[in-house]
Amino acid sequence: MNRKLITLIILLALFIIFPFILTGFWVRFITNIFLFAILASALNIISGFTGYAAFGNMVFFGVGAYTVAVLMNKLSFSFLSSFIFAGLISILLALLLGILLLRLKGHYFALGTLGAAEAIKYIIDNLTDLTGGGQGITIPSLHGSPVFINSFFYFFMFILLIIIVLFTWWLSRSRLGYALKAIRANEEAAGVMGINTTVYKIIAWTLSGLFTGLTGAVYAYWFSYIDPPTVFDVMWVVRMFVIILLGGAGTVLGPVIGAFILESLSELVWSKFLNLHLGILGTLIIITVLIIPNGIMSLTNTGKGLKGVLESIKKSRDNAL
Amino acid sequence: MLLQAIVNGILFGAVYGTIGIGFSLVWGVMNIINLAHGSFIMIGAYLSYTFYISYGIDPFLSIPIVMFILFIIGYSIQRFLLNLVVRGSIFITLTFTFGLQILIANVCLLLWKADFRSINLPYSSVSLSLGGAVIPLVRFGIFIVAVILTLLFYVFMKRTKVGLAISATAQNYEGAKVVGVNVRNIYSITMGVSAALAGVSGALIIPIMSINPFIGGSLVGKAFVISVLGGLASTFGALAGGLVLALVETIGTIIIPSSFQNLLGFVVLVLVLVFMPQGLLGKRTYNE
Repeated sequence: MNRKLITLIILLALFIIFPFILTGFWVRFITNIFLFAILASALNIISGFTGYAAFGNMVFFGVGAYTVAVLMNKLSFSFLSSFIFAGLISILLALLLGILLLRLKGHYFALGTLGAAEAIKYIIDNLTDLTGGGQGITIPSLHGSPVFINSFFYFFMFILLIIIVLFTWWLSRSRLGYALKAIRANEEAAGVMGINTTVYKIIAWTLSGLFTGLTGAVYAYWFSYIDPPTVFDVMWVVRMFVIILLGGAGTVLGPVIGAFILESLSELVWSKFLNLHLGILGTLIIITVLIIPNGIMSLTNTGKGLKGVLESIKKSRDNAL
Repeated sequence: MLLQAIVNGILFGAVYGTIGIGFSLVWGVMNIINLAHGSFIMIGAYLSYTFYISYGIDPFLSIPIVMFILFIIGYSIQRFLLNLVVRGSIFITLTFTFGLQILIANVCLLLWKADFRSINLPYSSVSLSLGGAVIPLVRFGIFIVAVILTLLFYVFMKRTKVGLAISATAQNYEGAKVVGVNVRNIYSITMGVSAALAGVSGALIIPIMSINPFIGGSLVGKAFVISVLGGLASTFGALAGGLVLALVETIGTIIIPSSFQNLLGFVVLVLVLVFMPQGLLGKRTYNE
C-alpha cells in the first residue's frame, strides 16, 4: 500500500512539472491523452459500472462544446461561466434522454442512444442562425503566450481528470457504486433487493453525461473552432469503448491506462501510416477483444507478466463457443 | 407527386427488406448486432461496380458471384473470429464488429479510393408508366430481384435442413446441440447467408445510389430500424419494416424541408424504440 502511494505521488509530481520541461508538442499530446482518459472514465460510469452500452455518449461532448461556443461567440460570456452552463445543460440533456431511453436494455439502448445523438447532431446542424450550421463556429481564443496556453489546457484537463478519477474511486466503494454493479449483474434481482433501478440508472447516466459535456466544453475552447461532424463523430465513442476495454471496464484506473496506451499507439500510427490508421485501429480493437476482453487491469488478478497474459487468453475462451 | 413517392417507396422498400433480413438473421440467431453489416453491403456494391466497370458484367447478372464471395467472407469471419467472442457481453461483440467495420472501410478505401462510385446502366432511362406514376425499369428490376430473394430466403428457412437447424439454434442453443446440430458450423453458415444477403443489397443499390467507403455506418443504422420495425421475428416482418422505412423516407422528402431529411431516419429510430420495441408484427423471439 505504501509503495503504491509513493508511486502515485511521484507520478503526480512528474505530471505537474511536465509542462515546464517538455516542448509544446508533448504538452499537447499529453493533454489529448487526459481528454480521452476523462471521456473514457465518464463512459465507464454508465457502461463499465452499470453495464449499459451508451453508444451515443458523444452527444454530451458535442452539446457541451456547442454550449461554450454559442455562449462565448454570440453572447460574449466568459469561459468559466459558459463552462458551468455546459455542465448544467449536459445534466438537463441526460435527464431528458435518460427518461426516454433508459427503459431500453441491451442492444436497444445502445442503438437508441446512437440514434438520439445523431438526431441532435442534425438539429444543431440545422439551427444555422444560432450555431453556424455546417460552417461551424469559432470560439474567442485564450490570449497569452503559447507556453501559457498549452499549460492552461494541460492543467485544466489534468484537474478534471483527477476529479473524475477520485470520483470513480469513491464510486467503486460507495453505496451508489454497489447499486450500479448490482444492476449490471442482474437488473431484476437488483430491483427485487430494493434498489430503485430507474433512479440509479438515471444518476449514472447523468454523471457520465456531465463529465463528458464538461470535457467537450474545454475541447471547444482549446480548439477554438468546432463543427457538427467533428464534435458529434461516432469515433469519439468508439475510442472511449476501446479505451475502457483495453484498460478494464468497471475499474478505477483502467480508463486512464487504456487512454495512455491507445492514444500513444494512435499517435505513432498516425504519423507513420496515414493511409492505414483506421485499419490498424480496427485490427487493434479485434485483437484486444480476442486476447484481453476484460482489460489490462484484469491482468493484476491473473498474475504478472507473460504468465498473466497467457492466463487472460485462457480465460477469454469463456466467450467462445 | 405523392403517388410517385409511394411507388418509389415501395420499389426501394424491397431492398431495405433484404438489408433487414440479413441483419435481423444474425441478431435473432446469435444475439449479435453486426455493426459490420453495412460494410458487407458496401463490399457487395463495390464488387458489383468492379464487375461492371472492368468486365462489363451487368450488375443483375453478377449477383450470384457477389453472393458467393460474400458468403465465403461472412462464413470465414464467423468461423475464425466471431465464434471466439460470440458468448461475450454485448460490449465485446459491439466493439468487435465495429473494429471489423473500420478495418473493412480502410481496405475499401485503399482498393477503391474515397470517391463516390455508382453504375450508370445503359437502360437506366427506360421506364414504364402506370397510371400517373413512372416506374423506371432499373428500379422495377431491383424490386423484383429483392422480392424473389425474400421468398427464396423464406423457403430456405422453412424447407431446408440447414434453415431449420438455424431456427432451432436460435430458439434453444443447448437443445440444438443435444439433437446433434453443429452450432459452430450453423453460426458460420448464418453469418455467411446474412453477408450474402447484404452483398445482394449492395449490388441492388449501386445502380441507383452512389457509395463511398464510409457509407457502412449509416446503412447499419437503417438496418437496425428495419429490424426493430420488423420485430426480429420473421422474414416478412423485415420486408414490412423495409417498406415502412422506405415510404417514410420518400414521403418525407415531399413534406419535410430537405435540410431536415437526414434527421428523419433517426427520429423514426428513437420513436420506434421507445414506443414499439416489439416491432410491427409484435413478435419478440426469432421464428416464433
